[in-house]
Amino acid sequence: MERSEQLSIAEALILASPEPIPLQRLASLIPSCKPAAARALVDELNAEYVMRGRAFEIWEVAGGFQLRTLPAFASYVQASQPERPLRLSQAALETLSVIAYRQPVTRAEIEYVRGVDADAVLRSLLERHLVRIAGHREVPGRPLLYATSRRFLEVFGLARIEDLPTLRELAELAPEGPASAHPTLDSVVSGSDAEERSGHAADEDDAEAWVEEADGESFDDEDPSGESH
Amino acid sequence: MSTPAFPGEPDSGPPADASGSPYAVKLALFEGPLDLLLHLIRVNEVEITDIPIARISEQYLATLEVIRDLDLDVAGEFLLMAATLAWIKSRMLLPPDGLDPDGEGSDPRAELVARLLEYQRFKQVAGELAERRWLGRDVFEAHAAPLEPRPQSEREVEAGVFELIEAYRRVLVRAGPSATPHEVEVETVTVRERMRVVMKALELRPSLEFTECLFTSERELPSRPIFIATFLAILELSRLAALRIYQGVDERGGPQGPIHLRRSDGPGSGAWGEQIAEVM
Repeated sequence: MERSEQLSIAEALILASPEPIPLQRLASLIPSCKPAAARALVDELNAEYVMRGRAFEIWEVAGGFQLRTLPAFASYVQASQPERPLRLSQAALETLSVIAYRQPVTRAEIEYVRGVDADAVLRSLLERHLVRIAGHREVPGRPLLYATSRRFLEVFGLARIEDLPTLRELAELAPEGPASAHPTLDSVVSGSDAEERSGHAADEDDAEAWVEEADGESFDDEDPSGESH
Repeated sequence: MSTPAFPGEPDSGPPADASGSPYAVKLALFEGPLDLLLHLIRVNEVEITDIPIARISEQYLATLEVIRDLDLDVAGEFLLMAATLAWIKSRMLLPPDGLDPDGEGSDPRAELVARLLEYQRFKQVAGELAERRWLGRDVFEAHAAPLEPRPQSEREVEAGVFELIEAYRRVLVRAGPSATPHEVEVETVTVRERMRVVMKALELRPSLEFTECLFTSERELPSRPIFIATFLAILELSRLAALRIYQGVDERGGPQGPIHLRRSDGPGSGAWGEQIAEVM
Protein backbone atom coordinates (compact mmCIF):
# COMPACT_ATOMS: atom_id res chain seq x y z
CA MET A 1 0.00 0.00 0.00
CA GLU A 2 1.17 3.46 -0.86
CA ARG A 3 2.37 5.51 2.06
CA SER A 4 0.21 8.44 1.01
CA GLU A 5 -2.80 6.16 1.22
CA GLN A 6 -1.79 5.00 4.68
CA LEU A 7 -1.45 8.61 5.72
CA SER A 8 -4.95 9.37 4.55
CA ILE A 9 -6.37 6.31 6.28
CA ALA A 10 -4.67 7.30 9.54
CA GLU A 11 -6.09 10.80 9.20
CA ALA A 12 -9.59 9.48 8.51
CA LEU A 13 -9.46 7.11 11.47
CA ILE A 14 -8.28 9.79 13.87
CA LEU A 15 -10.85 12.27 12.60
CA ALA A 16 -13.75 9.83 12.89
CA SER A 17 -12.87 8.40 16.28
CA PRO A 18 -15.23 9.62 18.99
CA GLU A 19 -12.42 9.41 21.53
CA PRO A 20 -8.63 9.33 21.36
CA ILE A 21 -7.73 6.31 19.24
CA PRO A 22 -4.97 4.17 20.75
CA LEU A 23 -1.82 3.56 18.75
CA GLN A 24 -2.36 -0.22 18.64
CA ARG A 25 -5.88 0.18 17.33
CA LEU A 26 -4.83 2.74 14.75
CA ALA A 27 -2.11 0.42 13.49
CA SER A 28 -4.45 -2.56 13.37
CA LEU A 29 -6.92 -0.67 11.19
CA ILE A 30 -4.36 0.49 8.65
CA PRO A 31 -3.40 -2.24 6.17
CA SER A 32 0.13 -3.55 6.74
CA CYS A 33 1.05 -1.08 9.41
CA LYS A 34 2.93 -1.70 12.63
CA PRO A 35 2.49 0.52 15.70
CA ALA A 36 5.84 2.22 15.19
CA ALA A 37 4.90 2.96 11.60
CA ALA A 38 1.53 4.29 12.71
CA ARG A 39 3.26 6.71 15.05
CA ALA A 40 5.46 7.83 12.19
CA LEU A 41 2.33 8.44 10.12
CA VAL A 42 0.91 10.65 12.87
CA ASP A 43 4.15 12.60 13.06
CA GLU A 44 4.15 13.05 9.32
CA LEU A 45 0.54 14.22 9.34
CA ASN A 46 1.37 16.77 12.02
CA ALA A 47 4.36 17.99 10.05
CA GLU A 48 2.12 18.33 7.03
CA TYR A 49 -0.46 20.33 9.01
CA VAL A 50 2.23 22.71 10.17
CA MET A 51 3.58 23.07 6.65
CA ARG A 52 0.17 23.81 5.22
CA GLY A 53 -0.81 26.07 8.09
CA ARG A 54 -3.81 24.00 9.12
CA ALA A 55 -5.82 25.06 12.17
CA PHE A 56 -5.51 21.73 13.92
CA GLU A 57 -3.01 19.13 14.96
CA ILE A 58 -2.99 15.59 16.29
CA TRP A 59 -2.42 15.25 20.02
CA GLU A 60 -1.54 12.16 21.94
CA VAL A 61 -3.86 12.26 24.94
CA ALA A 62 -5.27 9.69 27.35
CA GLY A 63 -3.54 6.87 25.55
CA GLY A 64 -4.67 7.75 22.03
CA PHE A 65 -4.54 10.20 19.16
CA GLN A 66 -6.99 13.02 18.75
CA LEU A 67 -7.38 15.95 16.39
CA ARG A 68 -7.54 19.27 18.20
CA THR A 69 -7.74 22.86 17.14
CA LEU A 70 -4.71 25.07 17.65
CA PRO A 71 -4.74 27.36 20.69
CA ALA A 72 -4.52 30.37 18.37
CA PHE A 73 -8.15 29.81 17.41
CA ALA A 74 -9.42 29.27 20.93
CA SER A 75 -11.44 32.49 21.14
CA TYR A 76 -13.28 31.74 17.90
CA VAL A 77 -14.04 28.15 18.82
CA GLN A 78 -15.07 29.16 22.33
CA ALA A 79 -17.64 31.50 20.82
CA SER A 80 -19.04 28.64 18.76
CA GLN A 81 -19.43 26.28 21.71
CA PRO A 82 -22.66 25.91 23.63
CA GLU A 83 -20.76 25.59 26.90
CA ARG A 84 -18.69 28.27 28.51
CA PRO A 85 -14.94 27.74 28.41
CA LEU A 86 -13.57 25.54 31.14
CA ARG A 87 -12.64 27.37 34.33
CA LEU A 88 -11.07 25.90 37.40
CA SER A 89 -10.47 27.71 40.66
CA GLN A 90 -7.11 27.80 42.38
CA ALA A 91 -8.56 25.45 44.99
CA ALA A 92 -9.58 23.02 42.26
CA LEU A 93 -6.14 23.16 40.63
CA GLU A 94 -4.31 22.65 43.90
CA THR A 95 -6.55 19.74 44.83
CA LEU A 96 -6.06 18.19 41.39
CA SER A 97 -2.32 18.58 41.81
CA VAL A 98 -2.32 16.75 45.11
CA ILE A 99 -4.47 13.96 43.69
CA ALA A 100 -2.39 13.69 40.52
CA TYR A 101 0.85 13.18 42.42
CA ARG A 102 -0.44 11.26 45.41
CA GLN A 103 -3.08 9.02 43.95
CA PRO A 104 -4.84 7.13 45.23
CA VAL A 105 -5.29 9.54 48.07
CA THR A 106 -7.85 10.10 50.80
CA ARG A 107 -9.69 13.32 51.48
CA ALA A 108 -7.91 13.68 54.83
CA GLU A 109 -4.53 13.54 53.10
CA ILE A 110 -5.57 16.20 50.60
CA GLU A 111 -6.82 18.38 53.43
CA TYR A 112 -3.59 17.92 55.34
CA VAL A 113 -1.53 19.06 52.36
CA ARG A 114 -3.68 22.07 51.58
CA GLY A 115 -4.61 22.91 55.15
CA VAL A 116 -8.27 23.40 54.25
CA ASP A 117 -11.46 21.43 53.93
CA ALA A 118 -11.68 19.61 50.60
CA ASP A 119 -15.29 18.46 50.59
CA ALA A 120 -16.80 21.01 48.20
CA VAL A 121 -13.88 21.08 45.81
CA LEU A 122 -13.74 17.29 45.63
CA ARG A 123 -17.42 17.13 44.84
CA SER A 124 -16.97 19.67 42.09
CA LEU A 125 -14.05 17.76 40.60
CA LEU A 126 -16.05 14.52 40.70
CA GLU A 127 -18.94 16.25 38.95
CA ARG A 128 -16.62 17.41 36.22
CA HIS A 129 -15.25 13.88 35.95
CA LEU A 130 -11.72 15.14 36.47
CA VAL A 131 -11.41 12.93 39.52
CA ARG A 132 -12.76 9.49 40.21
CA ILE A 133 -13.20 7.35 43.27
CA ALA A 134 -10.64 4.58 43.25
CA GLY A 135 -11.97 2.45 46.07
CA HIS A 136 -11.40 2.50 49.81
CA ARG A 137 -8.29 2.45 51.88
CA GLU A 138 -8.41 -0.59 54.11
CA VAL A 139 -7.92 1.23 57.37
CA PRO A 140 -10.49 1.98 60.07
CA GLY A 141 -13.30 4.05 58.60
CA ARG A 142 -12.45 2.76 55.10
CA PRO A 143 -12.00 6.26 53.67
CA LEU A 144 -12.62 6.78 49.96
CA LEU A 145 -9.60 7.00 47.72
CA TYR A 146 -9.45 9.58 44.97
CA ALA A 147 -7.53 9.37 41.71
CA THR A 148 -7.41 11.35 38.50
CA SER A 149 -9.67 10.23 35.68
CA ARG A 150 -9.20 9.71 31.99
CA ARG A 151 -10.96 13.04 31.57
CA PHE A 152 -8.15 14.66 33.57
CA LEU A 153 -5.65 13.41 31.00
CA GLU A 154 -7.81 14.67 28.16
CA VAL A 155 -8.38 18.11 29.63
CA PHE A 156 -4.74 18.70 30.51
CA GLY A 157 -3.46 17.14 27.32
CA LEU A 158 -1.50 14.32 28.87
CA ALA A 159 -0.91 11.05 27.05
CA ARG A 160 -0.53 9.31 30.39
CA ILE A 161 -0.26 10.37 34.01
CA GLU A 162 3.47 9.74 33.99
CA ASP A 163 3.82 12.62 31.56
CA LEU A 164 3.26 15.10 34.32
CA PRO A 165 6.59 16.62 35.24
CA THR A 166 8.03 15.04 38.34
CA LEU A 167 8.07 17.16 41.43
CA ARG A 168 11.84 17.16 41.18
CA GLU A 169 11.73 18.65 37.71
CA LEU A 170 9.31 21.29 38.89
CA ALA A 171 11.51 22.14 41.84
CA GLU A 172 14.49 22.54 39.53
CA LEU A 173 12.52 24.89 37.33
CA ALA A 174 11.48 27.00 40.26
CA PRO A 175 13.77 29.99 40.89
CA GLU A 176 14.02 29.43 44.63
CA GLY A 177 12.85 25.87 44.81
CA PRO A 178 14.03 23.87 47.78
CA ALA A 179 15.24 21.14 45.48
CA SER A 180 17.78 19.66 47.80
CA ALA A 181 15.60 19.51 50.85
CA HIS A 182 12.87 17.29 49.48
CA PRO A 183 13.78 16.06 46.06
CA THR A 184 11.14 13.39 45.67
CA LEU A 185 7.54 12.85 46.42
CA ASP A 186 8.30 10.02 48.79
CA SER A 187 10.69 11.93 50.91
CA VAL A 188 8.15 14.70 51.21
CA VAL A 189 5.57 12.20 52.33
CA SER A 190 7.71 10.44 54.85
CA GLY A 191 9.29 13.58 56.19
CA SER A 192 6.23 15.64 56.79
CA ASP A 193 3.09 14.05 57.82
CA ALA A 194 3.68 10.52 58.90
CA GLU A 195 1.74 10.86 62.08
CA GLU A 196 -1.45 12.13 60.52
CA ARG A 197 -1.54 9.84 57.58
CA SER A 198 -3.26 6.58 58.19
CA GLY A 199 -0.67 4.78 56.16
CA HIS A 200 1.46 5.66 53.24
CA ALA A 201 -0.30 5.80 49.98
CA ALA A 202 1.05 2.49 48.91
CA ASP A 203 -2.13 1.19 47.42
CA GLU A 204 -1.01 -0.17 44.14
CA ASP A 205 -3.10 1.65 41.68
CA ASP A 206 -1.55 1.01 38.36
CA ALA A 207 -1.18 3.19 35.36
CA GLU A 208 -4.02 1.51 33.54
CA ALA A 209 -6.45 2.40 36.26
CA TRP A 210 -5.83 6.04 35.60
CA VAL A 211 -7.18 5.81 32.13
CA GLU A 212 -9.74 3.07 32.53
CA GLU A 213 -12.66 5.34 33.07
CA ALA A 214 -14.06 6.79 29.90
CA ASP A 215 -16.66 9.45 30.00
CA GLY A 216 -17.56 12.01 27.46
CA GLU A 217 -19.56 14.35 29.55
CA SER A 218 -19.38 18.06 29.56
CA PHE A 219 -16.92 19.43 31.99
CA ASP A 220 -17.88 23.02 31.75
CA ASP A 221 -19.60 23.70 34.99
CA GLU A 222 -19.68 26.85 36.91
CA ASP A 223 -17.10 27.14 39.58
CA PRO A 224 -19.03 26.32 42.68
CA SER A 225 -18.63 29.38 44.80
CA GLY A 226 -17.11 29.15 48.17
CA GLU A 227 -15.39 25.87 47.55
CA SER A 228 -12.26 27.19 49.09
CA HIS A 229 -12.91 30.28 51.09
CA MET B 1 -8.85 33.13 25.81
CA SER B 2 -9.67 33.26 29.45
CA THR B 3 -7.27 32.36 32.16
CA PRO B 4 -8.26 30.35 35.17
CA ALA B 5 -9.28 32.24 38.21
CA PHE B 6 -6.63 32.74 40.79
CA PRO B 7 -8.62 33.99 43.69
CA GLY B 8 -5.94 32.95 46.09
CA GLU B 9 -2.99 34.58 44.42
CA PRO B 10 -1.62 36.73 47.18
CA ASP B 11 0.45 39.35 45.50
CA SER B 12 -0.42 42.39 47.52
CA GLY B 13 1.58 44.04 50.26
CA PRO B 14 2.06 42.76 53.78
CA PRO B 15 -1.32 42.01 55.28
CA ALA B 16 -0.34 43.63 58.56
CA ASP B 17 -0.20 46.96 56.77
CA ALA B 18 -3.16 46.20 54.62
CA SER B 19 -6.13 47.17 56.70
CA GLY B 20 -7.24 49.46 53.87
CA SER B 21 -10.17 47.81 52.19
CA PRO B 22 -8.75 47.29 48.69
CA TYR B 23 -6.20 44.87 50.09
CA ALA B 24 -8.33 43.54 52.84
CA VAL B 25 -10.88 41.91 50.59
CA LYS B 26 -8.11 39.89 49.09
CA LEU B 27 -7.15 38.51 52.47
CA ALA B 28 -10.26 36.43 52.56
CA LEU B 29 -9.15 34.85 49.35
CA PHE B 30 -6.17 32.97 50.64
CA GLU B 31 -6.56 29.34 49.90
CA GLY B 32 -5.95 28.48 53.51
CA PRO B 33 -3.65 29.00 56.47
CA LEU B 34 -0.66 27.52 54.65
CA ASP B 35 -1.24 29.86 51.73
CA LEU B 36 -1.36 32.83 54.10
CA LEU B 37 1.80 31.69 55.88
CA LEU B 38 3.67 31.31 52.59
CA HIS B 39 2.59 34.80 51.70
CA LEU B 40 3.84 36.19 54.99
CA ILE B 41 7.12 34.35 54.59
CA ARG B 42 7.53 35.81 51.12
CA VAL B 43 6.74 39.40 52.04
CA ASN B 44 9.02 39.17 55.08
CA GLU B 45 11.74 37.78 52.83
CA VAL B 46 12.63 35.01 55.23
CA GLU B 47 13.53 31.40 54.59
CA ILE B 48 10.83 28.79 54.98
CA THR B 49 13.39 26.62 56.71
CA ASP B 50 14.14 29.31 59.27
CA ILE B 51 10.88 31.04 60.06
CA PRO B 52 10.98 33.82 62.65
CA ILE B 53 8.00 32.36 64.42
CA ALA B 54 7.29 35.30 66.73
CA ARG B 55 7.14 37.80 63.90
CA ILE B 56 5.22 35.60 61.51
CA SER B 57 2.64 34.48 64.04
CA GLU B 58 2.07 38.09 65.09
CA GLN B 59 1.37 39.06 61.50
CA TYR B 60 -0.71 35.98 61.02
CA LEU B 61 -2.95 36.91 63.93
CA ALA B 62 -3.12 40.51 62.72
CA THR B 63 -4.35 39.24 59.38
CA LEU B 64 -7.05 37.17 61.02
CA GLU B 65 -8.12 40.30 62.89
CA VAL B 66 -8.43 42.18 59.62
CA ILE B 67 -10.56 39.41 58.21
CA ARG B 68 -12.73 39.45 61.31
CA ASP B 69 -13.10 43.23 61.15
CA LEU B 70 -14.52 42.78 57.70
CA ASP B 71 -17.16 40.51 59.20
CA LEU B 72 -15.89 37.62 57.17
CA ASP B 73 -15.91 34.21 58.74
CA VAL B 74 -12.52 33.08 59.77
CA ALA B 75 -12.53 29.44 58.86
CA GLY B 76 -11.66 26.98 61.58
CA GLU B 77 -8.52 25.91 59.82
CA PHE B 78 -7.09 29.42 60.16
CA LEU B 79 -7.71 29.30 63.89
CA LEU B 80 -6.16 25.86 64.15
CA MET B 81 -3.02 27.20 62.50
CA ALA B 82 -3.00 30.13 64.91
CA ALA B 83 -2.98 27.63 67.77
CA THR B 84 -0.20 25.67 66.10
CA LEU B 85 1.88 28.82 65.73
CA ALA B 86 1.32 29.70 69.38
CA TRP B 87 2.39 26.22 70.40
CA ILE B 88 5.54 26.39 68.28
CA LYS B 89 6.32 29.81 69.69
CA SER B 90 6.06 28.54 73.24
CA ARG B 91 8.19 25.51 72.46
CA MET B 92 10.85 27.76 70.93
CA LEU B 93 11.15 29.56 74.26
CA LEU B 94 11.85 26.35 76.13
CA PRO B 95 15.23 24.69 76.15
CA PRO B 96 15.33 21.44 74.16
CA ASP B 97 14.03 18.74 76.48
CA GLY B 98 16.28 16.04 75.13
CA LEU B 99 13.56 13.50 75.68
CA ASP B 100 12.84 13.00 72.03
CA PRO B 101 14.46 9.66 71.19
CA ASP B 102 15.36 10.42 67.58
CA GLY B 103 16.16 14.03 68.18
CA GLU B 104 13.87 15.19 65.44
CA GLY B 105 11.76 17.15 67.79
CA SER B 106 14.60 19.50 68.47
CA ASP B 107 13.14 22.12 66.16
CA PRO B 108 9.45 22.55 66.91
CA ARG B 109 9.02 24.18 63.51
CA ALA B 110 10.07 21.08 61.61
CA GLU B 111 6.64 19.71 60.82
CA LEU B 112 5.27 23.09 59.83
CA VAL B 113 8.27 23.68 57.60
CA ALA B 114 7.76 20.35 55.88
CA ARG B 115 4.09 21.11 55.33
CA LEU B 116 4.87 24.56 53.93
CA LEU B 117 7.46 23.19 51.55
CA GLU B 118 5.10 20.52 50.42
CA TYR B 119 2.20 22.91 49.97
CA GLN B 120 4.43 25.31 48.07
CA ARG B 121 5.34 22.51 45.72
CA PHE B 122 1.73 21.64 45.02
CA LYS B 123 0.92 25.28 44.40
CA GLN B 124 3.64 25.14 41.82
CA VAL B 125 2.08 22.04 40.28
CA ALA B 126 -1.26 23.84 40.19
CA GLY B 127 0.43 26.68 38.34
CA GLU B 128 1.86 24.20 35.89
CA LEU B 129 -1.57 22.68 35.29
CA ALA B 130 -3.06 26.14 34.82
CA GLU B 131 -0.58 26.91 32.08
CA ARG B 132 -1.22 23.80 30.06
CA ARG B 133 -3.38 24.02 26.98
CA TRP B 134 -6.72 22.91 28.34
CA LEU B 135 -9.26 21.04 26.33
CA GLY B 136 -12.38 23.17 26.41
CA ARG B 137 -10.49 26.40 26.98
CA ASP B 138 -7.45 26.57 24.71
CA VAL B 139 -7.94 23.67 22.37
CA PHE B 140 -11.00 21.79 21.14
CA GLU B 141 -11.29 18.26 19.87
CA ALA B 142 -12.74 17.13 16.59
CA HIS B 143 -16.17 15.84 17.53
CA ALA B 144 -17.04 12.52 16.01
CA ALA B 145 -20.31 11.21 17.36
CA PRO B 146 -19.90 7.74 18.81
CA LEU B 147 -21.76 4.99 16.99
CA GLU B 148 -24.58 3.24 18.75
CA PRO B 149 -23.28 0.27 20.69
CA ARG B 150 -23.38 -2.73 18.40
CA PRO B 151 -25.98 -5.27 19.52
CA GLN B 152 -25.58 -8.98 19.07
CA SER B 153 -27.04 -10.00 15.76
CA GLU B 154 -29.26 -12.71 17.25
CA ARG B 155 -30.90 -10.33 19.64
CA GLU B 156 -34.42 -9.38 18.69
CA VAL B 157 -35.92 -5.98 18.97
CA GLU B 158 -39.55 -5.19 19.19
CA ALA B 159 -40.55 -3.97 15.79
CA GLY B 160 -42.12 -0.57 15.42
CA VAL B 161 -45.24 0.31 13.48
CA PHE B 162 -43.09 1.57 10.65
CA GLU B 163 -41.51 -1.84 10.15
CA LEU B 164 -44.94 -3.44 10.22
CA ILE B 165 -46.29 -1.08 7.60
CA GLU B 166 -43.24 -1.64 5.44
CA ALA B 167 -43.74 -5.40 5.64
CA TYR B 168 -47.42 -4.94 4.88
CA ARG B 169 -46.53 -2.91 1.80
CA ARG B 170 -44.19 -5.63 0.60
CA VAL B 171 -46.91 -8.24 0.93
CA LEU B 172 -49.32 -6.06 -1.02
CA VAL B 173 -46.76 -5.75 -3.76
CA ARG B 174 -46.27 -9.48 -3.75
CA ALA B 175 -50.03 -9.99 -3.99
CA GLY B 176 -49.99 -7.89 -7.10
CA PRO B 177 -52.97 -6.60 -9.01
CA SER B 178 -55.78 -9.01 -9.37
CA ALA B 179 -55.69 -10.94 -12.66
CA THR B 180 -59.36 -11.28 -12.88
CA PRO B 181 -61.64 -8.38 -13.80
CA HIS B 182 -62.64 -6.42 -10.82
CA GLU B 183 -65.88 -7.50 -9.30
CA VAL B 184 -67.57 -5.60 -6.56
CA GLU B 185 -68.77 -7.95 -3.90
CA VAL B 186 -69.35 -7.62 -0.22
CA GLU B 187 -66.97 -9.63 1.80
CA THR B 188 -68.02 -10.34 5.28
CA VAL B 189 -64.66 -9.91 6.86
CA THR B 190 -64.23 -8.17 10.19
CA VAL B 191 -61.22 -7.17 12.21
CA ARG B 192 -62.59 -9.11 15.15
CA GLU B 193 -62.73 -12.28 13.10
CA ARG B 194 -59.17 -11.80 11.89
CA MET B 195 -58.04 -11.28 15.48
CA ARG B 196 -59.47 -14.66 16.35
CA VAL B 197 -57.75 -16.23 13.36
CA VAL B 198 -54.38 -14.78 14.31
CA MET B 199 -54.72 -15.81 17.94
CA LYS B 200 -55.78 -19.29 16.94
CA ALA B 201 -52.74 -19.59 14.73
CA LEU B 202 -50.57 -18.44 17.63
CA GLU B 203 -52.07 -21.09 19.86
CA LEU B 204 -50.90 -23.74 17.46
CA ARG B 205 -47.43 -22.31 17.08
CA PRO B 206 -45.51 -20.06 19.46
CA SER B 207 -44.21 -17.83 16.70
CA LEU B 208 -45.57 -16.80 13.34
CA GLU B 209 -44.03 -14.83 10.56
CA PHE B 210 -45.93 -11.63 9.99
CA THR B 211 -46.38 -12.18 6.27
CA GLU B 212 -47.57 -15.73 6.94
CA CYS B 213 -50.49 -14.39 8.96
CA LEU B 214 -51.66 -12.23 6.16
CA PHE B 215 -52.25 -15.19 3.92
CA THR B 216 -55.13 -17.51 4.41
CA SER B 217 -54.59 -21.00 5.69
CA GLU B 218 -54.54 -22.38 2.17
CA ARG B 219 -51.61 -20.06 1.44
CA GLU B 220 -53.54 -18.45 -1.32
CA LEU B 221 -53.57 -14.73 -1.79
CA PRO B 222 -56.43 -13.20 0.12
CA SER B 223 -58.35 -10.18 -0.96
CA ARG B 224 -57.34 -6.69 0.05
CA PRO B 225 -60.09 -6.35 2.61
CA ILE B 226 -58.75 -9.45 4.35
CA PHE B 227 -55.23 -8.07 4.18
CA ILE B 228 -56.33 -4.84 5.73
CA ALA B 229 -58.51 -6.49 8.33
CA THR B 230 -55.70 -8.83 9.33
CA PHE B 231 -53.20 -6.01 9.54
CA LEU B 232 -55.54 -4.00 11.74
CA ALA B 233 -56.20 -7.13 13.80
CA ILE B 234 -52.50 -7.57 14.47
CA LEU B 235 -52.12 -3.94 15.48
CA GLU B 236 -55.11 -4.26 17.76
CA LEU B 237 -53.82 -7.49 19.33
CA SER B 238 -50.49 -5.82 19.86
CA ARG B 239 -52.22 -2.91 21.55
CA LEU B 240 -54.04 -5.35 23.81
CA ALA B 241 -50.66 -6.96 24.55
CA ALA B 242 -52.10 -10.25 23.39
CA LEU B 243 -49.11 -10.68 21.14
CA ARG B 244 -45.71 -9.15 20.67
CA ILE B 245 -44.06 -8.23 17.45
CA TYR B 246 -40.36 -8.92 16.97
CA GLN B 247 -37.77 -8.41 14.34
CA GLY B 248 -34.12 -9.40 14.21
CA VAL B 249 -31.34 -6.86 13.95
CA ASP B 250 -28.41 -6.62 11.63
CA GLU B 251 -24.89 -6.17 12.91
CA ARG B 252 -25.23 -2.41 13.04
CA GLY B 253 -28.34 -2.58 15.13
CA GLY B 254 -30.83 -1.79 12.38
CA PRO B 255 -33.93 -3.94 11.93
CA GLN B 256 -33.37 -6.87 9.63
CA GLY B 257 -35.11 -10.04 8.60
CA PRO B 258 -38.71 -11.16 8.85
CA ILE B 259 -41.09 -9.81 11.46
CA HIS B 260 -42.39 -12.38 13.89
CA LEU B 261 -45.48 -12.43 16.02
CA ARG B 262 -45.35 -14.13 19.40
CA ARG B 263 -48.01 -14.84 21.92
CA SER B 264 -47.61 -12.82 25.06
CA ASP B 265 -47.21 -14.74 28.24
CA GLY B 266 -50.41 -14.10 30.05
CA PRO B 267 -53.83 -15.44 30.71
CA GLY B 268 -54.86 -18.63 28.98
CA SER B 269 -55.90 -18.67 25.38
CA GLY B 270 -59.57 -18.77 26.17
CA ALA B 271 -59.38 -15.39 27.79
CA TRP B 272 -58.37 -13.76 24.54
CA GLY B 273 -61.60 -14.65 22.88
CA GLU B 274 -63.50 -12.87 25.62
CA GLN B 275 -61.25 -9.89 25.52
CA ILE B 276 -61.57 -9.58 21.79
CA ALA B 277 -65.34 -9.79 22.01
CA GLU B 278 -65.25 -7.15 24.71
CA VAL B 279 -63.13 -4.70 22.82
CA MET B 280 -64.43 -4.94 19.30
